[in-house]
Amino acid sequence: MSVVTPPSFVVAVDELTVARARAGDEAALEALFRRFETPVYSLARRLTRSPHDAEDVLQETFLEVVRSIRRFRGDGSLAGWIRKVAASKALMKLRQQGARGREEELFDDLAGHTSGDGPGGSPAPGTAAERVDLETALAQIPATARAVIWLHDVEGYSHDEIAAMAGRTASFSKSQLARAHARLRELLAPGVREGTCT
Amino acid sequence: MHLSLEELLAVRDGVAGAAAAGHAAACAECAAEVKRLAAVRAALAALPEERPSNDVWPAVVARAAGECERRVWRRAGWIAAGLAAMFTIAIGVRGALETYAEAKLARQTETLVAESQRLEKALRSSERRERVMSGRTAGTVVQLEDRIATIDAQLARAGNDRYPSQERIGLWQERVRLLDALVSVEKSGTTYLGL
Ligand SMILES: [Zn+2]
Repeated sequence: MSVVTPPSFVVAVDELTVARARAGDEAALEALFRRFETPVYSLARRLTRSPHDAEDVLQETFLEVVRSIRRFRGDGSLAGWIRKVAASKALMKLRQQGARGREEELFDDLAGHTSGDGPGGSPAPGTAAERVDLETALAQIPATARAVIWLHDVEGYSHDEIAAMAGRTASFSKSQLARAHARLRELLAPGVREGTCT
Repeated sequence: MHLSLEELLAVRDGVAGAAAAGHAAACAECAAEVKRLAAVRAALAALPEERPSNDVWPAVVARAAGECERRVWRRAGWIAAGLAAMFTIAIGVRGALETYAEAKLARQTETLVAESQRLEKALRSSERRERVMSGRTAGTVVQLEDRIATIDAQLARAGNDRYPSQERIGLWQERVRLLDALVSVEKSGTTYLGL
């Protein structure tokens, strides 16, 4: 499977800005922040759902970037590093939400939701209205399944990588991905459309 | 028996075993479901980005500054600071200078400051262009900038003295030399500097 950096994290950062940021140049660090704040916030928002928590994740992510960019040695994978920091911070925030009981059924196993295995689902969303439906549906699936589907299908992480970040196993990640797709299919199924999409 | 959702996803992601992949290739229903799952993935990736409604950067700066035991913050963009302008106050007092030696020092300083400003202007205009630069070249640029910043700190200390001095001229000469090197590095991408 090819792991592709999703469009949101395809950000051109010139070497000079990175070198200055590594030297602790505040203006360069802010320039990096400005380039990445939207993708980081978007990722955090998808995982945590709360604007407030997503801003916390953004802050934690860049505090980590400011602290650790000196030790960052990667070539051209700055975006990948920042994204990984963001994903880890967002998962941490989810665990906190779970501990506070804000996120219902965090690690539960609602068997009924995965019962719809096999083919026969609704068509995939394509129009603007369907996009809104998809966003609404995504927000309704349980936190862990939502995090896994986002990290896997959108951010391009493998099940092994997700397992390492979340402190779970790869098979847990696989079952959560299936669960997320099953939930999405259920949520999008009623009245999405029949026949052609006009 | 059709494939499970987990198997369908594995087929979609190209990591399925031979049996599952074979079934998906032969079964129209499962093939359609694999296609649908790929379309869901594409639709998720196409969801619009969200922007924070508050500016979080000031909080990051405040927290980083609060906890730093080492020097995290470098001077904020030496070019933006327009440092050369700070030191021109030393010039223009020539009328008050009495001796020929002092007047000569003042003229020398003035020339060096002018050259320094010219080079900074050249750098500022190249700064606006996005340049492709190797990591090594960028490292050289930052080293030079750090050395210029050190000179500037020394000039700021020496600047309290109204009159031009030999020491200050030495600092200005070094500053011009470093700026000159910086201009040539940024132009040519050289990394070796015999400085
Ligand atoms: Zn089948």
